[in-house]
Amino acid sequence: MTVSEVLIQGPDPEVNPEPSESGEIAGRSPMRIAMDRLLSDKVAMICAGIVLLFVLIAIFAPLLCKLFGVEVRAGDPVTDTDSFNYPVIGPPNYGFTWEAPLGLEPNSGNDLLAEWFYGARTSLLVASIATIVSTVVGVVLGLIAGYSRGWGDRVVTFVTDLFLTLPFLLVAIAVSPMLVERWRDNPSMLDDASLIALIVILSVFGWMGLARLIRGEVISLREREFIEAAHVLGMPTHRILFKELLPNLVAPIVVSFSLSLPATIAAEATLAYLGVGVTGRPSWGQTILRAQNWFDEYPLFLYAPIIGIVVLVFALNLLGDAIRDAFDPKSFR
Amino acid sequence: MIGFVIRRLISAVLVLFVISVAVVALFTYGPSDPAQAMCPEPKCTAERQDAIRDALNLDAPIQVQYAEYMSGIVNGRQIAFGSEAYDCDAPCFGVSFIYRVNVWDDIKDRIGPTVSVAVGAGATILLIGVPIGMFAARRRGSAADKAVIGATLVIESIPYYLFVLLAFLYLAAGAGIFPQEGYHPLTDSPLKWAWGLLLPWLALGLVNSSKYARFTRGSMIEAFNQDYVRTARSKGLAESRIVNKHALRAAVVPIVTIFGIDFGSLLTGTIFTELIFGIPGLGLRALNAVGQSDLPVIEATTLISALIIVITNLLVDLFYSVLDPRVRLG
Repeated sequence: MTVSEVLIQGPDPEVNPEPSESGEIAGRSPMRIAMDRLLSDKVAMICAGIVLLFVLIAIFAPLLCKLFGVEVRAGDPVTDTDSFNYPVIGPPNYGFTWEAPLGLEPNSGNDLLAEWFYGARTSLLVASIATIVSTVVGVVLGLIAGYSRGWGDRVVTFVTDLFLTLPFLLVAIAVSPMLVERWRDNPSMLDDASLIALIVILSVFGWMGLARLIRGEVISLREREFIEAAHVLGMPTHRILFKELLPNLVAPIVVSFSLSLPATIAAEATLAYLGVGVTGRPSWGQTILRAQNWFDEYPLFLYAPIIGIVVLVFALNLLGDAIRDAFDPKSFR
Repeated sequence: MIGFVIRRLISAVLVLFVISVAVVALFTYGPSDPAQAMCPEPKCTAERQDAIRDALNLDAPIQVQYAEYMSGIVNGRQIAFGSEAYDCDAPCFGVSFIYRVNVWDDIKDRIGPTVSVAVGAGATILLIGVPIGMFAARRRGSAADKAVIGATLVIESIPYYLFVLLAFLYLAAGAGIFPQEGYHPLTDSPLKWAWGLLLPWLALGLVNSSKYARFTRGSMIEAFNQDYVRTARSKGLAESRIVNKHALRAAVVPIVTIFGIDFGSLLTGTIFTELIFGIPGLGLRALNAVGQSDLPVIEATTLISALIIVITNLLVDLFYSVLDPRVRLG
């Protein structure tokens, strides 16, 4: 690793370093210190557990559906709903049944538990990919802007400001049907196309904050001795950027990632509610849209996805705050 | 100061220029075919679609397209769809595919509601967030402070649209405390205007104010530790004067900056609020237009929203230099 990392590493006020076998104080990287602080933070660990639970639900959605004996998108409006479009089992008219623990959806008869499991899957899949892509874009553009003096910086800064000016939701709802229309003759492609459109839109509008942050960090780091040394040694620019600067930017990148993931999940649910990008796949946002007129008669229909979103976003937010504190040498908790 | 204003104006114009080029290019070369969107295949034959493409001049290069569109906004132009031609008076933002009228006539009455919602919600955010943050800052470390901070964290985790949706479902549609049909023009009756928009403002304002409460708190605490506040204290000034005159003046500057940057996302929240409350604004029109693939309307609403955001950012930047005694831009 780099010289600066050794310099940054100071005594940790909170966690006593575990004595190594010989009894000497072991040197630890800043990453290690942050991890130790995080692991000793109870709130963060509970939140991490909740997030992990959601991730497992998303990964094992098909298995969980089998376990509960439910099937996704298998509702039959004729047999599963009565003549008033109400479900024939479960709420709102009948009591709880293991056949459909969260009940069936009015009109379509789809099982809501399966819909919820797969909704978690869509939500986490889209948000994770979009956040990863926008993080990569933000880091690369921020590095370029910060390290290149003059035109490179000016162009990237202008583009950043430009994207901050665009009305996100309007562009999203305007562009996504354009992207999707390409595949409108091929229904099997349409599913993937709208998913990809959604990920593209969320990524394209997610990188600006991080790019600005990284640019600022790089501007201050590039004047430091170790970068100068690397420069004098004749190290190629890409090596300076990715081998020397990048390791010093791990903290802001991790913090930004962990705070933008919940924001992306919320944005995904918002767009899905508006019908952007999601067609065939179950999605919490879409379920909320269909459930809003039933809020009085069948609250469970509306609240299952709402609770899913709020709990997941809340846990991720608290976890993100804890990660920020863990990486911040000035914070004492 | 004048140099700064000029530089800021140039950059705003440049941003608008790039956005408008992008919007026009997306419309022309975007993945969706305007002729197909306007007149789908079973209704129109392939020849007729070709005629529409010809009439819209879709094969012309981008600078021609752009010049035509911009001159239409200034001078008006004639737009032909195949055999039919429409006079589109200035400012011409194109002719709606669905309603066959100048898009401007369609959307000009919708700017008012959108601005009403956004400005009212913005004011609500500051009116709720800043005082709460000041309150918490003056009592930092106390139980009240912790309760406020905890509450802001919880509120922030609820996506704003859920907040707005639940507020509408329970307070307007369910209990009927607030009116359901939201919008009356300000010029008709200011009282009806404010009463109809009160719940949208409160819902959108409350959910967004949590961030400002936390931010104000941090900013104020920082200001309290400054030398000039200590000086004011040692002079024996009243606490209220110290808080409101000395500390707040310094704390409010970063708040205004963040607020300016946030205005774009506030406009996003406005689109949502319009949809849920049925307020006939730009956002609702844009959503309908997307449903109908009415490209000129989408184009115009995007452009006008971008214009609103650019103007707000500009105003905030200018206001910023007036507000902060340390910023003297020469």
